[in-house]
Amino acid sequence: MNYLDLTITAMHEALVKKQVTPLELTSEAIKRIKEDKNNAIEYLCEQEALAFAKTLTTPEKDNPLWGIPFAVKDNISTKDIPTTASADILNGYVPIFDATAISKLKAKKAVMIAKTTLDSLAMGGSGTTGHLGKTYNPYDPSHTRMIAGSSCGSASVVSSSIVPFALGSDTGDSIRKPASFAGLVGFKPTWGRISRFGLFPFVPSLDALGFFTRSVEDAAILLNVLAGHDEADYTSSLVQVDDYTKELNNPLKGVKIAVIQEIIDSFTDQDIIKRFNETIKIYQSLGAKVDYVHLDKHLLMTLFPTYYIISCAEATSNNANLDGIKFGPYYDADNYIEVMKKARTAGFSERIKRRFVLGSFALMKENQNELFLRAAKNRHKIVDEINKIFKDYDVIYAPASPSIAPRFDSVTNQLQDEYLIADNYMCIGNFGGYPSLTLPVGFKDNMPFGFNLTAKPFMEAKLFNIAKALEDKLGYFNLSARNKK
Amino acid sequence: MKEVTLASLKEAANRLLFDMSEAEYKTLLEEFKTVSKQMALIAEDKSVDNYSPMIYPFPVATDSLREDIPCKPESRETILKNAKNKMAGQIKLPKVVS
Repeated sequence: MNYLDLTITAMHEALVKKQVTPLELTSEAIKRIKEDKNNAIEYLCEQEALAFAKTLTTPEKDNPLWGIPFAVKDNISTKDIPTTASADILNGYVPIFDATAISKLKAKKAVMIAKTTLDSLAMGGSGTTGHLGKTYNPYDPSHTRMIAGSSCGSASVVSSSIVPFALGSDTGDSIRKPASFAGLVGFKPTWGRISRFGLFPFVPSLDALGFFTRSVEDAAILLNVLAGHDEADYTSSLVQVDDYTKELNNPLKGVKIAVIQEIIDSFTDQDIIKRFNETIKIYQSLGAKVDYVHLDKHLLMTLFPTYYIISCAEATSNNANLDGIKFGPYYDADNYIEVMKKARTAGFSERIKRRFVLGSFALMKENQNELFLRAAKNRHKIVDEINKIFKDYDVIYAPASPSIAPRFDSVTNQLQDEYLIADNYMCIGNFGGYPSLTLPVGFKDNMPFGFNLTAKPFMEAKLFNIAKALEDKLGYFNLSARNKK
Repeated sequence: MKEVTLASLKEAANRLLFDMSEAEYKTLLEEFKTVSKQMALIAEDKSVDNYSPMIYPFPVATDSLREDIPCKPESRETILKNAKNKMAGQIKLPKVVS
């Protein structure tokens, strides 16, 4: 095993003991990117990363990210490094500032290796709509299965052991769903816990900047670095930052886990259900109290349309600044309206345009009450009902996806329970701003799948504790497609 | 509510300053049929009207003022570096008044 195959924690130990250097790790990561065939990379920061890694000569024992290579979803601003969100309208755009999350990682002397691809403008869940087309699941050498999105490239590079962690963004389940298909820990924090300054806005009322790791402990370590108020992002929270590693190994006695029966009923894959029941027994054996609770099935069936209307409406206005004038390709025309129209017609994919039209339609004066405002009211109702569950429970627990990674050519009936609930219920985490984490729990047909835990706002330390207890018992730790047994 | 027709979708696209092909509009019209069926699920539940629209998950206190920290602003050249069409330190566009 190469040192690059280790978790952050183990890699840090090796760096401190001088068993490996940041330059060696960086060189190996770049080599692996060049060999990789999964269509994960928008921009390789080869020269920048090597130059920085060369300067890292004295290990910092108390800095777990010193010299650790990482990758970044390409909708997060990186100074002097192209950042396009995998959208043609941003081709050639080079930010003049770093996102706060990037500044924090640079301050810790972590080494940015690459910008990763995504569904264009982070809108989509298939990992197929960005500049590179399909991003492939590293567990499937036949390249027929997706890794999902929108954070497809970040999931891919962590799963391929190119880096031990990568930043992503999560608006509906864009980190937590790919994590399930890639055998990773995928984490979104409480809304406002990590600054979003420099994250391209898609749906600001739902967006969160999060990450992929190969262990729960690594996720806690990363949140320790990235959490905190940021004056550049006034939606970032003033709630005091915790030590997110402090509860990692606490016993689970007294922990209360809720399983929403109607969500479980929407799953049809018997292997996933069987595994879910096994993990419930594990939690019970560890002293946790697990109860099945009920939530109106009809309300659950409205999750996806609520998400879709709100996300399209917010996206429409948040992307109005993409006009081909201040940045992006310029198209000459007789007047400035035509300049913008040409840029936007050529620069947005068909899928993006459809979402924008839908959003615009939902926001029209004649439609607002019946579409956008109704969806926003329904969101309120959903969050109220979930908060009632959280009065008595620490976490809500369910499988993260209805199946292993689907094939690219699979067809879904978008009006069935399995699509409306099992495939899309994780947007609850975004509606209520709850911290939420997916962790790997099993394999089927040699493909991984994961389960999801969602906690009350700002209860990340407890969430990591409950997740790590299961990780310890199952032994699904530091999984990667490169080193699969 | 405004009827979903090819014309109303074209109007929406026009407001957004982009164009789509006829085939793309047809796909969109089909997508609207599915979305309308999904939205009908929300419309069935009249109790939704008892809730206020949720705009953010929870309130975030923004009652503090930032300290004034002197800093050197970015140069004009840096700020304009992503604009493709520029002249004399300004973004250049076609004449608005002829």
